[in-house]
Amino acid sequence: MSAAPLVAESLGKRFRREWGLRGLTLELPAGAIVGLVGANGAGKSTLLALATGLLAPTEGTISILGRDPLRDPGTLAEVGFVAQGAPLYKSFTVGETITYARKTNARWDDEIVVELLTRIDSSAKVGSLSEGDRARLALAIMLGKRPQLVLLDEPFASLDPLAGRELLQLLMDGVAETSATVVIASHVVADVERVCDHIVLLAGGAVRLEGSVEGLLESHRLLTGPRRPLGAIRGVREIVRERHSGRQLTLLAVTDGPIVDASWRVERVGLEDLLLAYMAPERLPAAARPTERVRLRWHG
Amino acid sequence: MAWVTWRQHRSQLVTAAGLLVALAFAALGTRLPIEAAFHHDSLAGCLPPAPRTGCDIIVPHFEGEWNGLVTAVRVLAVLPVLAGLFVGAPLLAREIEQGTHRFAWTQGIARWRWLLSKTALLAAATALAGGVASALVMWWRTPFDTLEGRMGPASFDIEGLVVPAYALFALALGVLAGLVFRRTVAAMTSTLVAFAATRFLVLEFVRPHFLAPLHRTDVASGAGGQPGDWVLSDTLVDGGGRQISVARENLAVLHAQQAGIDPHTYIVTLGWRRVISYQPAGRFWTFQLLEAGLFAALAVVVVLVTVWLVRRRPT
Repeated sequence: MSAAPLVAESLGKRFRREWGLRGLTLELPAGAIVGLVGANGAGKSTLLALATGLLAPTEGTISILGRDPLRDPGTLAEVGFVAQGAPLYKSFTVGETITYARKTNARWDDEIVVELLTRIDSSAKVGSLSEGDRARLALAIMLGKRPQLVLLDEPFASLDPLAGRELLQLLMDGVAETSATVVIASHVVADVERVCDHIVLLAGGAVRLEGSVEGLLESHRLLTGPRRPLGAIRGVREIVRERHSGRQLTLLAVTDGPIVDASWRVERVGLEDLLLAYMAPERLPAAARPTERVRLRWHG
Repeated sequence: MAWVTWRQHRSQLVTAAGLLVALAFAALGTRLPIEAAFHHDSLAGCLPPAPRTGCDIIVPHFEGEWNGLVTAVRVLAVLPVLAGLFVGAPLLAREIEQGTHRFAWTQGIARWRWLLSKTALLAAATALAGGVASALVMWWRTPFDTLEGRMGPASFDIEGLVVPAYALFALALGVLAGLVFRRTVAAMTSTLVAFAATRFLVLEFVRPHFLAPLHRTDVASGAGGQPGDWVLSDTLVDGGGRQISVARENLAVLHAQQAGIDPHTYIVTLGWRRVISYQPAGRFWTFQLLEAGLFAALAVVVVLVTVWLVRRRPT
């Protein structure tokens, strides 16, 4: 078994005055399909740039497959990265772009690239391709490296939903046989929901929520009941979000046991709702402050 | 990487080749009439050690006739910096501007190796182009060099080994500026400024001292230096060896004119002499080697700094 695909310890990156990322500690399980979610500016791109050595950490460490991506450039031979907007040389043809990648990667699998690009004319200029085809080309080239770790930054941002779904399918087929770890950064939760089995949610430059999709769905419950002053609820460890509608009170809670109070209707929650609750702007000051909760309860 | 470099820079390389071909044709077309005039005027007889009589008229006439072209050729002193502006500066600045460095630098090849390979290949092409341009200029200037020498900056800077060395230095500066400023236009501007400043400083303060200059004392009325020397300073001193200020010289000339004496004769009778400090024509290749070595070494240092920066301090 090789080293963990991505380990970060107290990782921080400061841009001039502002911290883009701070105190981020994370270890991704090998072989996982990770959804890296968070609002715009939460630090997703910064994390991926640190993982590929395009940025140097201001503090802390990051290790990719057991190696330092900045000091040990050989790391990148194992990493497939598609940056946001899928940057490629616009004046190159599709064929030249593939040649470029073949010549700059020691390990290269032409077959998978050709297979993925049968639909695209190899003499077409990259600049003339549609967004979807360019993303497809970038993805194919990335897969041609046969990477152990795949990092995608907002791969669907500029695509229509259908093209996005198709691209996702290509990706899944491409990594299926190599059992690579995949990290898909996206601010659109619906995009990652379909394929990811692991979630890392960033907020304000730190990890706000992390865990397997199964585990997260298991530990969160939606509690609905009549409006009331809130005390401690047995079985609830933390209330993530409260919502009031008329006399109804709806809580998204992290549970640590069964809810015995029969006045609550207890339901499972969908992944998208779960993640959006954590991403919601009013939740951004990470730890829930009790005073805030009191105020919200009576004036909400 | 040879394919990658060729694919990314072929338009620049083709343009450079086209420029050189145009230069070669221009050189050929203008040089032949010069050659004919040189023989027609029997200028070979005006060369040291025994110039025939009349040369003091023939040589200036010949030089005056071709002065326009010679000046035009001097403008070729800007050629080396073009390598820095149009090949060096965009090399990294364009990648960073268009975001393609995030593609290029995340492939399997280490980015410092990517940069070093490209720089080395482009440096080879630059040195070759610089060498060809320099050879063309030297061939074209042969008649003038035999008459005037080539030690002075006007010919020294566009001939010999320094031309490719300047071009290499400009190229290296451009690449570094692209990494530091991250914008093509800013990189080009700073390359131009840094290159011009370095050239100026070396010409003013370093080149005159590569070897200790020689001194020659002439009677005050004599002609300047020997043809072909690079005269660094030419001052009047009195009998005691003290330098004579311009004001004092003017005063002496005025005195002579009032007394109705030829000023030159008057100055000689005062015992004043001219002391000329110069680098002799025979040091041309030594100086070429030293100056080219200096700029090539600077280029290597700049490249190493750039590679180190790319490796250690990412974008």
